[in-house]
Amino acid sequence: MEGIAGQKASLTWAVHIAVAALVILWTVPTFGLLVSSFRDKDQLAMTGWWTSLSASEQTLAARTEGPDAQIREGDLWVVRGNLFAPAGPGQVASWGASSREPAAFAPGETADLGDGEALRVEENGDYELSASAEMTGSRGQRVYVQSMEPPVFTLDNYRSVIGAEGIGRAFLNTFTVTIPATVIPILVAAFAAYALAWMQFPGRAILVACVVGLLVVPLQLSLIPLLRFHNAIGLGKGYFGIWLAHTGFGLPLAIYLLRNYMSGLPKDIIEGARVDGATDFQIFRRIVLPLSFPALASFAIFQFLWTWNDLLVAKVFLGTSDSQLVMTGRIVELLGSRGGNWEILTAAAFLSIAVPLVVFFAMQKYLVRGLLAGSVK
Amino acid sequence: MTRYAGRSALALICLSSIACAQDLPFAPGEGGFNWDSYEALKQRDLSGQVVTIAGPWTGEDRDLVESVIAYFEAATGADVRYSGSDSFEQQIVIDTAAGSPPNIAIFPQPGLAADLAAKGLLAPLSQQDAAWIAENYAAGDSWVDLATFEGPDGPALYGMFYKVDVKSLVWYVPENFEDLGIEPPQTMEELKALTGTIAEEGETPWCIGLGAGGATGWPATDWVEDLMLRTQPPEVYDQWVSNEIPFDDPAVIGAIEEFGWFARNDTHVAGGAGAVASTDFRDSPKGLFSAPPQCYLHHQASFIPTFFPEGTVIGEDVDFFYFPAYEGRDLGRPVLGAGTLWSITEDSEATRAFMAFLQSPIAHEVWMAQTGFLTPFKGVDTGLYGDPTLKKMGDILLGADTFRFDGSDLMPGAIGAGVFWTGMVDYAGGAPAAEVAAAIQATWDGIQ
Amino acid sequence: MGQILYASVTIIAGVLLCVAYFWGTNAALDRLLPMRGPRASANVRRANAIRPWLFLGPSMVILGLYLVYPVFNSLWLSLHDASGRDFVGLGNYVWLFGDAKFLESVRNNMLWLVFVPAAATFLGLVAASLTDRIAWGSLAKSLIFMPMAISFVGAAVIWKFVYDYRAAGQEQIGLLNAAVTALGGDPVAWITVPFWNNFLLMIILVWIQTGFAMVILSAALRGIPEETVEAAILDGANPFQVFWRIKIPQIRGTIAVVWTTITILVLKIFDIVFAMTNGQWGTQVLANMMYDWSFRAGDFGRGSAIAIILMLAVAPIMVWNIRNARRENR
Repeated sequence: MEGIAGQKASLTWAVHIAVAALVILWTVPTFGLLVSSFRDKDQLAMTGWWTSLSASEQTLAARTEGPDAQIREGDLWVVRGNLFAPAGPGQVASWGASSREPAAFAPGETADLGDGEALRVEENGDYELSASAEMTGSRGQRVYVQSMEPPVFTLDNYRSVIGAEGIGRAFLNTFTVTIPATVIPILVAAFAAYALAWMQFPGRAILVACVVGLLVVPLQLSLIPLLRFHNAIGLGKGYFGIWLAHTGFGLPLAIYLLRNYMSGLPKDIIEGARVDGATDFQIFRRIVLPLSFPALASFAIFQFLWTWNDLLVAKVFLGTSDSQLVMTGRIVELLGSRGGNWEILTAAAFLSIAVPLVVFFAMQKYLVRGLLAGSVK
Repeated sequence: MTRYAGRSALALICLSSIACAQDLPFAPGEGGFNWDSYEALKQRDLSGQVVTIAGPWTGEDRDLVESVIAYFEAATGADVRYSGSDSFEQQIVIDTAAGSPPNIAIFPQPGLAADLAAKGLLAPLSQQDAAWIAENYAAGDSWVDLATFEGPDGPALYGMFYKVDVKSLVWYVPENFEDLGIEPPQTMEELKALTGTIAEEGETPWCIGLGAGGATGWPATDWVEDLMLRTQPPEVYDQWVSNEIPFDDPAVIGAIEEFGWFARNDTHVAGGAGAVASTDFRDSPKGLFSAPPQCYLHHQASFIPTFFPEGTVIGEDVDFFYFPAYEGRDLGRPVLGAGTLWSITEDSEATRAFMAFLQSPIAHEVWMAQTGFLTPFKGVDTGLYGDPTLKKMGDILLGADTFRFDGSDLMPGAIGAGVFWTGMVDYAGGAPAAEVAAAIQATWDGIQ
Repeated sequence: MGQILYASVTIIAGVLLCVAYFWGTNAALDRLLPMRGPRASANVRRANAIRPWLFLGPSMVILGLYLVYPVFNSLWLSLHDASGRDFVGLGNYVWLFGDAKFLESVRNNMLWLVFVPAAATFLGLVAASLTDRIAWGSLAKSLIFMPMAISFVGAAVIWKFVYDYRAAGQEQIGLLNAAVTALGGDPVAWITVPFWNNFLLMIILVWIQTGFAMVILSAALRGIPEETVEAAILDGANPFQVFWRIKIPQIRGTIAVVWTTITILVLKIFDIVFAMTNGQWGTQVLANMMYDWSFRAGDFGRGSAIAIILMLAVAPIMVWNIRNARRENR
């Protein structure tokens, strides 16, 4: 692969830049979600996530204390306090008392609110509201404040997902579903793939085509007949049912991918073993299985991801009671009846991404050629 | 194992005394609740029996419904298991068809219940149930009619409405109204004039968002239904819902165009007419609260406070008024609403007992006294409403000359949860009302 | 604790059961038809005829039950009306071909079929071959792979923050519109723009599926015997020639598999359309339409008819695979 040195260097740079561009394109949307997952839920729908990374001028709606706090000073009734009071210090750039002109006044100016009321706001948020007659009502005057806000991030979204009741159990349920639902189809498919790739029997080509055809069966189609079948044989809703269902739905892709990989293995090795008197079972176990590890690993990753992120199959075949809910189901539950709490989704998306990524990293070393290249010669 | 042991031990304590009151939000015997109806429940011992309930509520709503269920469990000893799902409609179809239904299903759309009843998958309620509803619910006969479907053995009552929503509401921020020097209108004429006034001031009157992911378009159906009730007599509304008059009848096209008066005018709606269809209905009300406000008015049902900014106090930070009727048309004060229908999908003794529990005042009062619950049951103490807002909504409900159920929920699924939605999105995007209505009617013709 | 135990035991039991089946049946076959003795050659022939079916048995039972049976069930349903009781012949299909939404779905599915597999496979191939050459390649791979690990609901939220539209003058929270307005343009309600909105939805699937193509193709690229590459370099081929003339031909089979897999996935694409537009603004696709009719409208007859059309659409790929498998046999 070594070319001429100069050409190689510039080419390497081009590769670096191309990969970097691809990676940036691919991660920016997700990065937006990551930033959003640390933002306040009301801000999420009001400003772009990229604005939250730098200090920005924001309009806040604050409120003076209510008439309960008024004191009498001569002819006037007065309320004093600080607009930033509970949250901490801030700096007023401009302010206003009307929603139509939220930045009408500079700090230190006095606004005439009509009916003998006047309001003054200082730069540090101190205000003085005075009235010529006693103030009534239960709430204070609304004040709009423009202030420079440093970037604010919160862990609340993550807290509400992690702290949700039953999330630990849901996590466990998910593993109980996904691991067998990943292992069983691989095992069953590997044998079938070997038969379709290396054994001679009539109807082989048709069978391969059928497997491809079954790839396209929409899942939704199978839900009712299958659940009816499970109920009929007394399996009902439970882990066995969902493992079988995931196995059924995952098998066509598993067989198709594995068969393709296995049929690409060097013919001489397998023919050689046959000549030496090995049975197909021995060939499969001693030669084909180890050589197919990268393909097994990549399918395992996809099947794991698919079952991990699945919601529909779990709901139908496992049920929605507390002891049966999987992670995705629990998260959808957190979204509320009308699914509006996106901030929960942003955090949940990142928490649920973590496990598949760990699996991917762990499997990655099996994806390399080592095993294959080492034995093919 | 210890987990289950602990649980049954708790259940034992509950059976033996009222000591499990900590599970019940209101201790029996205290407050103005109808505790007699609670004590009456104790006559039946259902311990060991299980009732499963499936419904659309998750999150906070789920906690609320479970707090009601807890009283039934405490009184009878039955074990009631509620499971909520955001895709309830799809799941109940699958579960009933596959033969593993819950005992009780809570339908947000009666149309779906009618479908299942026709297929023989629901158990009818008794004559006594029908008589009770007719007698004890405000406008009781109409609640019976709404839940009477054609079953395998002829028409029968297939469910009971419990928990009602009011849709004819307009939300606004009082202080923003003050800043602009405007008042909530009393008539539709005033509302239209107010819309013009706000627009002339250089402000935007309405926030309208139809976006809802897979259900995009539904908020517009509420608008059209509300306007239908305000431009046509209720009988015409009923004919429209049952397709006795075609969807492209001039009366319906007129109502759609009334909606267009609000939504298809760039100066009337935040973001201009082009933003209506793509703005999410959950984001839409946030425009009321921004500074300066993006809009001053928002038409939406009683559930919308869930999507207001955190800490918003209803009645102070934000308030609502009745979506008014035309003074000049003399159609009274029509109110559009919706409700959840509780039906039996798998019969049992305890299931019937639970349906009977829903007819006791305590089942209504416990939820009323918390939040988000309206009821047409006349036998409850309305003083128990948990907050003044609910009471005000309840008054709108009781003050109605005409109450009509959300039409899109009553239409067949392919219309009410299909082309009606998509058609309204097309209309908001600029398609002529007549064309949209004709396309919807064509689909309706195709399913009959 | 109990659940972990239960799960582990069943996992181990399940795996052992599978192994026991394959091992046991094979051993039984060897014993019944020994390869030695007077009738060895007849036995070998018989054993070779039986053994493939031992290997295929469990798969065929599961596939038959979980996929083939529902297909026939749908075929039956598609010939009946909404209630499933009355036979309507081809009525549902006749209705389908007169329905404007259906024709729109077919057109959109065609667009998806052309664009997504091509783009995802090409980008996956580029990513696979480039990341293998640099030190931080495995990190880059993981980042490109990441979208695969995100659920469709999560993906819908991510892309909401890209395509979101706010009216001119308001602060944009969608990245695309923020970029457009920063450059002085007017914001656009992207997902409502007819025709092109289809491509915006396709981009989401390409974004997800590139990781799939990359992982499979990367494994194939690494499986290429180095001698062939070295020989080409000795002959003076530049890296591009090596890539296009030496490597690509050797992984042609895998490229076809990736292409086929993504094509089939695209045929039944549902979640993205469902979550982003629900088929409105001219973005309807077959699988979403099937869902609408089956579960929203409660008409399993029509829903099933759409599903059957969907499955017929895969026929050309099946024929191609039969011919491929035949060629391998020779």
